[in-house]
Formats: sequence, structure tokens, C-alpha cells
Amino acid sequence: MKRVAVTGIGVISPLGNDSATFFAALLAGRSAIARLEGRFHERLACPIGAAATFDGTRHFDAAKLRMLDRVSQFALAAAAQAIADAQGVLEGIDHSRAGVFVGTGMGGAQSVDDGYHALYAEASDRLKPFTVLLSMTNAPGAWIGLEHGFTGANLTYSTACSSSAVAIGEAARRIAHGEADVMIAGGAEAPLNFGTLKAWEALRTLASEDPLDASASCKPFAKDRSGLVLGEGAAMFVLEDRDRATARGARVHAEIAGYGLTTDAAHITRPSAHGQASAMRLALEDAHLAPQDIGYVNAHGTGTAANDGVETTAIKGVFGKRAYALPVSSTKSMHGHLLGAAGALELAAAILAMGRGVVPPTAHLKVRDPECDLDYVSEGARPVAALGAVMSSSFAFGGTNAVLIARGP
Amino acid sequence: MSTLERLAALLSKEFAIDPARLGPAARLEDLDIDSLRMIEIAFAVEDAFGVKITDEPSQLMARLKTVGDFASYVDGLLAAAGTSKAPP
Repeated sequence: MKRVAVTGIGVISPLGNDSATFFAALLAGRSAIARLEGRFHERLACPIGAAATFDGTRHFDAAKLRMLDRVSQFALAAAAQAIADAQGVLEGIDHSRAGVFVGTGMGGAQSVDDGYHALYAEASDRLKPFTVLLSMTNAPGAWIGLEHGFTGANLTYSTACSSSAVAIGEAARRIAHGEADVMIAGGAEAPLNFGTLKAWEALRTLASEDPLDASASCKPFAKDRSGLVLGEGAAMFVLEDRDRATARGARVHAEIAGYGLTTDAAHITRPSAHGQASAMRLALEDAHLAPQDIGYVNAHGTGTAANDGVETTAIKGVFGKRAYALPVSSTKSMHGHLLGAAGALELAAAILAMGRGVVPPTAHLKVRDPECDLDYVSEGARPVAALGAVMSSSFAFGGTNAVLIARGP
Repeated sequence: MSTLERLAALLSKEFAIDPARLGPAARLEDLDIDSLRMIEIAFAVEDAFGVKITDEPSQLMARLKTVGDFASYVDGLLAAAGTSKAPP
């Protein structure tokens, strides 16, 4: 089996459009959650979200932009960053052994929303000519492959909130099994349109706005948590055969050491501690690591009543007594829930934490919940000596649990 | 304004083509207009001229080689629709 190096990281997020800005904001405990602006947003019960400050016209010309939903714009920009970060990765590349795996829950949701608005509200008989190309779920990955001429496998994974963790885990396997030399892997999501926000509102899973501070509305693991807050963005990684990375003298951020994937097969939304714990154990087994080797867990931590207690139980089940001494945080408290892109963005947070030796906090956790009694790093960013390996968990509606473990370079 | 002038203005404004390159003899393929771009242009022409283009992009590409051809084609559509005026 080949070792899988992470040689490039690209981030478009509510907290900034590069990995350094993103991580600095996490350490500062800064939340990007705010009131959303939009033409119908006064009709939302709670018009909050974590929007990325991203202007597509600064990245793409007008003709290209007409073909790119916001989700593909995020994906392309993050992939370009990751490739630039992996200095020289394209030199001498065998394009037939390079691929793209992307996770997205909803794909081109903005274009679908725009199309329905034109048809139903404006009573138009015509849609924009590229509506299919804009909204098809595999567009983000297809554009990345086109842009860089990668002719190997190009797959899109859509397993709701674990989509990008699955994409990264599966891409790492392609390299580990010797089927690819280089993979662009990650996720992208752009759900902050009226139709999508209304659909989530209907599911009664969104947070209510904090009456004193909108930015504090997502409170993972807190007694007064009221739900999740949607966010948008993308995170992409360059994954590379470790031998190739070493041969070209590349800087290695981390290795993807373990990937665990299970399915609850119990309930379409309600999470299962057994399913979550099983995925964590499989990831540890895959990484040939013991629970005590993990120095930080970036939790799924949605801030919903359903998830946080169950996830706490799952962590205890896997880590035993050590669970109480293990730093666990949910950065969703600051960047919101990026759905299909969440796993990728949170893996970036975990890898950057390992690189810097400091873990980001769970923001807005003031009121303790007896059911959630682990160390959630609620006091602020915390330096942690010798972070050798970190875990990032993503659990989805539909029951797909994906856990990734990254090891220091 | 003639149909040719209106078409050239549309291509220049909406598709960022240099107006100096939009004479009647300009070949569409030299303007990087492929079948996908033709879909967008057909959509814009329908809006601007108030006509309905029923030909498929590949038929348009086979039939229309120059900007002048395209203008004549639009003139034909306008005549068939019984008007040569732009929609209000």
C-alpha cells in the first residue's frame, strides 16, 4: 500500500479565502455567522447563515461565469489554490493517473432555485441556456478535471453531510492502492439560496438567532444549542503518492492515514452512536493507530439536539476514559455547516491544527449540558504539544458516517 | 439600425467580441463561436429580436458561416413573424 501525502490545501470559506486566514479566524474564535441579505430573506423564520465573501468576477471572465454555479466557482477557486500550494505538483504529471473526487450535497442549488423562480414566479417559458450544466451535481468536479486536464477517475460523491469526507477517503484509497499518483479531493457547497434555506427551515433543524449576538447562534455541545446554521464554501486538497511527493521534494502538510466508513441503516435522520463509533474504529484500524494516538478530534458537532449527545456517546465508546482528556471541538460554531463541503473544510482545520500545534475552540459553549461532558476546548484556542495524529468526523442524513485520520508528516 | 448592426452590437456587448471583428464577412468559427456558445447566442437573439429560433445549434452551425449569414437568418425570422421591429 502506498502512503498518501497532503501536499496542497485550498480554502474558500465564510472565514476567509485562504487556509491561513481561515485558520487564524478559527484560533481567534471569530464567527462568520450573521444576518443574510437576499431578496426573499425576510420570509425566512431565521435569516442567518455563514456566507463566504467571494466575488466570482474576480476569478472568472463573464463567458466562463455564465457556465458556473456558485458551487463550481468555489470548487475551482479552492482547487487552484490547493494546486498552487502543492508547488510544482503538475510538473511531469501523468494526466491519466490524476483524478478528481468531489463531495457536494446539493450541487448547483442556486441555479435550480433561479430556474424555478423564472418558471413559476416570473412565468417565463424559458430557462437560461446552461441551466443543466450549471446545476448538474458533478459540475464542480468536472470543471476541475477540465481545467487541469486530469483524465483519470472523476467522481462526485453525494452523501449529504459526509460527502466530502467520503470523497477524500475514497481518493486516498485510489492512491494507496496504486491506481493514481495525484488526486484533487474535497468538497464544495453553496446552499444559501432562498429555496434551500426554506427546505432546511421546514426540517426544523436550523438554529434560532441568538437574541444578543447573531454570530453566536450555533452552539455545539451547549445546553442552549438550538440547531445548525448553514454555511457555504469549498475546501480542496492535493493528495499525492508519498513517494512522488518525496522524490520532488514537496512540502507535506500531513498524510491521510485512516478512513472509516459505515452506514447506520437505522433512521433517515436520527444519528446512531453505534454507527458513528464504528466509523471511528474503522478509521483507527485503517491508520494502524490506537485511540491514545489521536491528539485532537474535529467533531461533526452540528449544534443540533440530535447529534451532539449521540456523538459524545460515540467518542466515549471509542476512546474510553481517555475521551475526557481528548480535545474535541466543533468549528461549525464559527464557519457554520457546509453540508457536503463540511468534512473537507474541517479536515483542513484539523491538519492545520496539527501543523501549528494549536487546536481551535468550540465557540459559544457557555452553558454546559450534562449529556455533553467532554473537553470541547470551550475556553479558546489551545496549544497542544506533540499532535501526532488528528481525527475529523462527518455524519450524514441517510446514515453515512465517514471518519478521516491525518498523521503528521 | 440594421439587423446586422443590431446583431453585431449584441455579440459585442453580451459576448465580449471586439466590434472591429464583427463585419458581415467575419466567420463565426474565427470568433470562437462553437455549438455551446451558439446556444447562448440563440437565446440572446430570441430576447433581443423577439423571435423564436427552432433550429438546433448544430443546424445553425452548419447553415450559418458568417455574421452576415446570421443577420440574414434573423431577417428571415423577422419577416416570417411579420414584423421587423424590436419588441417593446
